[in-house]
Amino acid sequence: MARKRRAAKRPRGATKTPTAVKRSARAALSVATSGRRPVRKRVAAMAQAPLAVCESDKDLQAMLNVLRNEDEPVKVRLAALQSLGAAAFSVIAFESCRGDYLAALRKVATDPNPELPQRVLGLLMREKDGFAQRKLLEGLKNPDKALVPPEKALQLLSYDVHAEAYAAARAIVGKPPNPDARREALRLLAADATAAPLFEKLLRDKKELREIRQISASALHALKPDRLQQVAREIVLDKSDYDDIKATSLMALATFGDDKALANDTVLLNSVDRFGAGKAPSKYKQGARRFLRKYGR
Amino acid sequence: MRPVATANAQSEPQFAAMVDALAADLDRRDRLMDLLREDHPVYDQRGAAAIVRMRGWLLVALARAGVSDAALIFVLEELDTGVDAYLVAAAARALRSYPNPTENLAPFVMRALTQIRYRDEPVSFERYGDYAVSSAGTSPVRELLATLAWLGPRARGVLPELEALRAQGSGLAKKFRIDIDRALHAIRRADQVDEPATGSCCAPPAGLGDTVSRPLDSRGGVETIESLVFEDHRGDRIAFKEFFRGQPSIVVFFYTRCDNPMKCSLTVTKLARMQKLLEAQGLSDRIHTAAISYDPAFDLPERLRVYGQDRGVVMNAHHRLLRATGGMDALCAHFGLGVNFIESLVNRHRIEAYILDAEGRIAVSFERIHWDEQQVVSRAIEVLEERGSCGGTRAQGAD
Repeated sequence: MARKRRAAKRPRGATKTPTAVKRSARAALSVATSGRRPVRKRVAAMAQAPLAVCESDKDLQAMLNVLRNEDEPVKVRLAALQSLGAAAFSVIAFESCRGDYLAALRKVATDPNPELPQRVLGLLMREKDGFAQRKLLEGLKNPDKALVPPEKALQLLSYDVHAEAYAAARAIVGKPPNPDARREALRLLAADATAAPLFEKLLRDKKELREIRQISASALHALKPDRLQQVAREIVLDKSDYDDIKATSLMALATFGDDKALANDTVLLNSVDRFGAGKAPSKYKQGARRFLRKYGR
Repeated sequence: MRPVATANAQSEPQFAAMVDALAADLDRRDRLMDLLREDHPVYDQRGAAAIVRMRGWLLVALARAGVSDAALIFVLEELDTGVDAYLVAAAARALRSYPNPTENLAPFVMRALTQIRYRDEPVSFERYGDYAVSSAGTSPVRELLATLAWLGPRARGVLPELEALRAQGSGLAKKFRIDIDRALHAIRRADQVDEPATGSCCAPPAGLGDTVSRPLDSRGGVETIESLVFEDHRGDRIAFKEFFRGQPSIVVFFYTRCDNPMKCSLTVTKLARMQKLLEAQGLSDRIHTAAISYDPAFDLPERLRVYGQDRGVVMNAHHRLLRATGGMDALCAHFGLGVNFIESLVNRHRIEAYILDAEGRIAVSFERIHWDEQQVVSRAIEVLEERGSCGGTRAQGAD
């Protein structure tokens, strides 16, 4: 009765006390890890459970068992993974659970259900985990052993600049299994200091996909900014190049270029003038007008 | 030029077999230490994760064969600057095979414990390249606690820190309670106190070769790199002889993509502190400082500038962040840099700082173990005065 009265006095919307929050999280964890409860309820409870995951070894092991257990519904396992990931976000509070968590992730990385390895490898690669790195590289070299598609493997490997992925990425650019893999390989190579000539070639290639040319412009800026400025200028001057690529080049010049040199570059300014007055879509013309205003026209 | 071009052709299993064979052979065990040098060709063109596996296996082999005085520095280096769970665990295990434990080792172990506790993970030493998929085995925290127990009363200097770790709410997993209690019990044991705890908190054991001074008459020349051209944080170009001749300099090496906060980021932050110490003594103009990138192809002037600025480095004509515009091999050879590469990217490096004399020659080097900024500055001042006491080495020199 007294408890009811106290609860009634608490203003609406007031936050729960930390103890109450933890109690409620533990109750949710109990539902989430119970195989007797319906899947829908377990998944919903998983979202409430992160605060309780690392409260006791028993709770942690119950959650990890759900994640590892191939007989559990995949929806519940994915929800468990998300709940554990949310708990792991608090590095200090999760300290005592980290070891068991990482070991479980490595175990699940080779799970027969394809969705789990993809997520788990992503979590491991954020930790720069050598095990995950080796699995991903093995999969790129030998597609029969691949745990995830090549484009995903490349994306995950790019989380760690020190992964020995450049050679594999170059091989994929040379002989891509699909366009997505080629695109991800190029994104990965954007951190490879020796790849500037490749990106310059791709940026100049009018037959190349626009997305690839834009990735190349961005990569060239990161690797050889001076070179990008030269190529961007040439593209703006090239009457036969595409409007969107010209607009990208103009943006690169205006944002990263040498203002003094650009203001005195009459040939370039005349070309931008023509571009702004031509048949390009209005959004590109606006960019040209901004450029001209910036440099005194 | 890399000394053995064929070494990197060796597969990882072949490397592991070679290490096992060396560890088992009393006459060839010393070669294990040689393999721990970062610039050894066996690491050339390997990924960072492969190098972790290889060096970890070497440390595990040392744990079996016994760590010699000469190899101790490599073990302590990993405890001092390592952030990889496998390497730190292997180093902790290797240290227990060192035959002459002293109280100076305890701070290294405790510091490693403080650093690695938030990165603790299960590791496996069963087979080469194993990754633990269960938490039943060991971990760096467990290995470090075992090493503190092995040190026993010699670790008394770190007892308060360990007790704090044992206290409720410290965050350390309860499963480590037994290991902590074992370590505490061993440290508190009174019957084995055979030496007073007099060591400084952070100094390596006496005789450890982390600092090398070279007397005036034994310093090598700079002919191979004097014309080497650097680009600085502003994009200005300057030759080695232009910047490093005429006054002593403090030089550190780093690269902006280093992901170990205990290495490059800390090194450059320490450089900023050294600059403040020089400034406080009115020596900013008389002793130059430089941070040179291991990764010149990527570390363009803008990246150098931002990296230095974010760490409080003063950048001007006397104090620069530099990247070599060519001749990286010559630079590595001249300084004997502890670094290796996969393509142009660094795959492993030690921490290193140098004091150059007014001729640009290496007078003092600090390697592997974190240096004290005041100590480096004091040594730089000695080099400055050494020039003065000789009546101006450069002015009266042969050239």
